[in-house]
Amino acid sequence: MPPVVALDRISKSYENKVAVEDLSFQIEPGSMFGLLGPNGSGKTSSIRMMIGITMPDSGSVRLFGKPYERESLKRVGYLPEERGLYKKMKVMDQLVFIGRLRGLDPAVAGKRAHEWCERLQILDAVQKKTEELSKGMQQKIQFIATLIHEPELVIMDEPFSGLDPVNASLLQDTLLDLKKKGRAILFSTHRMDQVEKLCDTICLIHRGRAVLSGGMREVKSRYERDHVVINFDGEACFLHHPSVKSFKNYGGQAEIELHEHANAQDLLRAAMEKAVVYRFELMEPSLEEIFIRTVGEKIDA
Amino acid sequence: MRNVWLVAQREYMEQIRGKTFKITTVLLPAVFIGIMAVMVFAGSWGSGKHVVVAAQNQDLAMRVRDQLLADKDAKMSVDVLAPANEADRQTLHAEMDRKEIDGFVWLTPSPDAKVQVTYVSRSAGDFSTNDLLQKAVNHALVEHRLVAKGIPAAEVAPLTGTVDVKTMLYRQGKETPSSALSTLIFGEVMAFLLTFTVVMYGMNVGRSVIQEKTSRIFEVMLATVKSTDMLAGKLIGIGAVGLTQIAIWIIFGAIALSSALVETWLSGYARPQVSVTEIALLCLYFVLGYGLYSAFFAGLAATCDTEQELQQYAPLAAVPVWLSFGMFVYIMGNPNSIWSILISMFPPTSPITMAFRFAAQFPPAWQIALSLALLAVSIYIVLWLSSRLYRVGILMYGKRATLPEMFRWLRYS
Repeated sequence: MPPVVALDRISKSYENKVAVEDLSFQIEPGSMFGLLGPNGSGKTSSIRMMIGITMPDSGSVRLFGKPYERESLKRVGYLPEERGLYKKMKVMDQLVFIGRLRGLDPAVAGKRAHEWCERLQILDAVQKKTEELSKGMQQKIQFIATLIHEPELVIMDEPFSGLDPVNASLLQDTLLDLKKKGRAILFSTHRMDQVEKLCDTICLIHRGRAVLSGGMREVKSRYERDHVVINFDGEACFLHHPSVKSFKNYGGQAEIELHEHANAQDLLRAAMEKAVVYRFELMEPSLEEIFIRTVGEKIDA
Repeated sequence: MRNVWLVAQREYMEQIRGKTFKITTVLLPAVFIGIMAVMVFAGSWGSGKHVVVAAQNQDLAMRVRDQLLADKDAKMSVDVLAPANEADRQTLHAEMDRKEIDGFVWLTPSPDAKVQVTYVSRSAGDFSTNDLLQKAVNHALVEHRLVAKGIPAAEVAPLTGTVDVKTMLYRQGKETPSSALSTLIFGEVMAFLLTFTVVMYGMNVGRSVIQEKTSRIFEVMLATVKSTDMLAGKLIGIGAVGLTQIAIWIIFGAIALSSALVETWLSGYARPQVSVTEIALLCLYFVLGYGLYSAFFAGLAATCDTEQELQQYAPLAAVPVWLSFGMFVYIMGNPNSIWSILISMFPPTSPITMAFRFAAQFPPAWQIALSLALLAVSIYIVLWLSSRLYRVGILMYGKRATLPEMFRWLRYS
């Protein structure tokens, strides 16, 4: 099966700024792809080129194994960061309208809209105008509008920004569900901590360039597990063990950074001699840390 | 094409269901009928002015008074002061200061047996009173001189009797009664409705673009619909709303004009002649005029962020309208002069000025064809520019684009 999205060295610059430079990646069916990077790093620009809202200056975009063509967009569901709805339109009319634009029959669109509204518990609202609804409800309708035509590729630009916690977890569940059904999902975010557990594959971009990409596990395995969190009761002198580079002791819980190639098991043994250990976790570095290490600067999130 | 149709349909339904459509459909003709009614009634009430006729010769003064009073519509009250001298003039000034009289006519014999006449009044620019005075004084003078020459008083009236010139319109080989006034009114009505719909719906397109921009729906739409399809759908949908409104007016207008009530109301007025061709042409001018203005505003709206910013461009639509209406009287009087022809060829003014010319005299076919062709070409050019501004502008949030920015957008491929 060809990759759902294949970007090959795409670049785009606006008059005084390079938005994207030589960006390449692929998204496989049934996977969740995270396009990560700080604000202004070129995430939205990349996405817009992917779905033909703007054209790359150079490089190529392939969707579903074919060079970009408009017809492919009927198989894509796109939720932009700046997302809206027609305010004066009734919810049902709106969903049917959007479904029809993507090639659905009015009856099918209506049926699916109804099913989704039922599932997301907003059936009461379907005959109301959008402007009468709460923000959380509008967000749900935006999800439905994105997914109503059962797209094989779902693209969401900063989907979690501005979501209330209920809708955020609802969205997570929905996305996992879609992944299980074999859909490819791409989302972008600058909040890397939020998505660590969701992504199978990531691409970290910074100033329009990919600085790190690949499978999540593979990326993480490139970095040593050199952080330890320990919960203990008793003497804390093991914190001066030779393998410890630095530590913060909060009394009962300590966060430790190990020296390079240090053996954590030795530290655990030392700790157990002096104290009762409730928890000893050898942490892998977070995406955010990896990003900071790679680009050598803080994320201006 | 399917998407254009869907967008047009959505736009049409939203506007038709909206309050603005219902209100303007009813209110506009109502306001118009109201204004006309006021004009007609105000005219029939007359000015009700109080004037004094002052002369040395009492007979002349009395005759002027009789002439003035003969015009029943003017409802004037006229006093006579004769013989009058310079001291009386001061008294009359004082009466005017106390607002007891509106003005006075001063007749003095001049050395060469002619008469000098002045009308002194508190208001300038009262055309109808001036007109009336002109006629009354001259008529009275003729009578006065005839009597002075020894013509018996009984023969004076038949000798000086006037007749009204009846105007007929020759069109399509037939003579039909017409009046300059009703033609004037008809031309104005057509032009007014055309202007209103063309500009209003043109602005509506702009407003709808802004609303889509502020509601951030564009990017959602652009992931499935081409920006040019969206623009086309919007223009078609809103234009169809305008045509619907015009159709409603035409149908109700036709019913109203044939009803008995209007029959009696219009009795004495010649009815304006409208042919099916003219109505069809007016609709065509609406479509093209709307196309021009709406394409223009769609492009501009894409460069703005709020309706207020868009409002600042409104004078760009108002200037051609002012220009057209400013030429109104001239065109009605000289429908075939070079200036009338030129302004009815200029695309921004052609829909309105052509409506004037239809009312005055049906223009030659080649002129209509040329003005339509010019309009079509200008729509093509404006649409080309606008669609480029639109494509870039709808995804630009922030502030209104400056002119240099717009030029840069036009260059984007």
